[in-house]
Amino acid sequence: MNILTKLRQDQPPLQAPKWIVFGVGLAVLTYLAYSPLISAPYINFERSMVMIYLVVGLGLNLLTGYTGQISLGHGAFFALGAYLAAITTGKLGWHYAIAFPLVAVMSWFLGYFVGRPALRLQGLQLALVTLALALVTPSIIKRFDTFTKGQEGLNLNTAHPPTWIGLERDQWTYYLCLLFVVIALLLTHRLATGRVGRSLMAIRDNEPVAATLGVRAATVKTQIFALSTAFAGVAGVLYAYVVQFVAPDAFGLTLAIAFITLIVVGGLGSTFGTIFGALFVVYVPNLTSEISESAAGLSYGVALVLFMFILPFGIISFVRLGLTPLVARLPKLTSDKNN
Amino acid sequence: MELLLQQLTDGIAWGALYGALALSLVLVYRASGIVNFAQGEMAMFSAFGSWQFYQWGLPLITAISVSMALAFIAGMLIERTLIRPLANSSHLTLIIITLGIMLVINAGAAWIWGHDARLYPVISEGDPVSIWTAVISRQALTIVGAVVLVALLLYVLFQHTRTGLHIRAAVSNSVSARLLAIPVNRMLALSWGLAAAIGALVASLAAPQLVLQPSMFSATLIYAFAAAILGGLTSPIGALVGGLIVGISENLAGTYLPGIGNDFKQAIALAIIMAVLFLRPEGLFGTREVVRV
Repeated sequence: MNILTKLRQDQPPLQAPKWIVFGVGLAVLTYLAYSPLISAPYINFERSMVMIYLVVGLGLNLLTGYTGQISLGHGAFFALGAYLAAITTGKLGWHYAIAFPLVAVMSWFLGYFVGRPALRLQGLQLALVTLALALVTPSIIKRFDTFTKGQEGLNLNTAHPPTWIGLERDQWTYYLCLLFVVIALLLTHRLATGRVGRSLMAIRDNEPVAATLGVRAATVKTQIFALSTAFAGVAGVLYAYVVQFVAPDAFGLTLAIAFITLIVVGGLGSTFGTIFGALFVVYVPNLTSEISESAAGLSYGVALVLFMFILPFGIISFVRLGLTPLVARLPKLTSDKNN
Repeated sequence: MELLLQQLTDGIAWGALYGALALSLVLVYRASGIVNFAQGEMAMFSAFGSWQFYQWGLPLITAISVSMALAFIAGMLIERTLIRPLANSSHLTLIIITLGIMLVINAGAAWIWGHDARLYPVISEGDPVSIWTAVISRQALTIVGAVVLVALLLYVLFQHTRTGLHIRAAVSNSVSARLLAIPVNRMLALSWGLAAAIGALVASLAAPQLVLQPSMFSATLIYAFAAAILGGLTSPIGALVGGLIVGISENLAGTYLPGIGNDFKQAIALAIIMAVLFLRPEGLFGTREVVRV
């Protein structure tokens, strides 16, 4: 078969034996837990940004990749999280940890009540409404300038590590990000591989048929929308703590497009593929900014078009294609064979 | 009363611009069944093109015409190379591709011409014209006139020429049109070309007012979407009427509704888009879509 047609096909997930899944997972986690202790602050900052994008991407991938409902408006929920964190810790002086459950619950409910009517719209219409939301988000923030200080933005000085632990602030926020990434990854993986995941894909591939098979499409879609907005909100809180500054223009169309680029590059409908997407949206603009300031937008745009033509299922399908023969040759433990 | 009249006049001037952009969105939607998110950026790039030709010494009108011709060709090429190969895939794929085109054009323009705002010459100089108590600049009048002219030309093209008949046939039932030996693909590409050329014209005319820069349509595009959706996405007349309604209501709301102000006016567009899609998805003039299982 032609390599190009092969790349365009959806590859089945790797059927790796359990010992290697746990082994690799543990090794990666150990490295990620150890590395901030010996890295420069800006490297920890970049890695924290990757993890923040990853949290958003995991939720958005559930919605867009698995369920087929495009949303360009998740930047608004990201902004909500960031501003709520900035206002509750700054103006109200609350402890920074309160913002996480508060924002998760608020975004969930807001997402539920926005999603309920919005998901009656399909495909293109949903894209238009959410795009309009993304375009309006900065001016909504500026409108409420009594809380948000408008264009000027809000500075934060919070999320300090407990003194007994002896960490720097950049290391502490890195660990916060890591904690939420692990939670989000496990949650998404559990959802996507089980009964829920199958009903999501059924809705994406053929909603009327899914409905006849007993999937309550409206309910499932709304709940996934709410969950993904909760992810976006929590990621916004992390963003506020890592960057320590929030301003309206960071939450416009550019952010929405970065989110979409992230899941397209990583792989629509793949939980672990999202990791590659998050690495892409953080590191590629860094690389290209040496050539020209406009190169970041250019690289996102070219990536979107190219991936749709050559690798519509993202980097993950390339990885799967390369690793499948290798994984098939790995020895299996006896307990795996029974499954 | 004077203020109201002035706001109405401004609303009509802006509405003509939104309507023309919505018109190009509608032409593309009828041809390919998608909303081209890159339409505003394509128009912006063409405006830069005409500015560049003008800088190189062409008279302004010639510069705009050359830019329109190039935009026409570019629109056809984009349809042929980037849209048609994947025309049968899902909405998601095509939406992502037009978003990608949008980013590429925007970043490309910023790379070539930089982010700074440029002065764009006006076609019709002179004092503003006063209509009763309201005043309107000559350039705004030119835009309104150009949009009316474009609408008339399109009407003649679609209703009274063979090509127009072929385009309508290709759009409404491509299978039957193919059986009648109508070159459907060429007709679809033609729609994209026309849309791009209209965009080039209005962007060049509006450039003095909007200020020529890569982000010139970032605030305007949402009104064009609102206008196209209000008009029903499939109706050219609807797009123009929608543009006028959006332009007028946006101006009136900015002036008379407390707490809206200049910056927050975009929320009016969001409200219009949501209201139409939830209450009457086919818009004012569109055709209701029926899904067969």
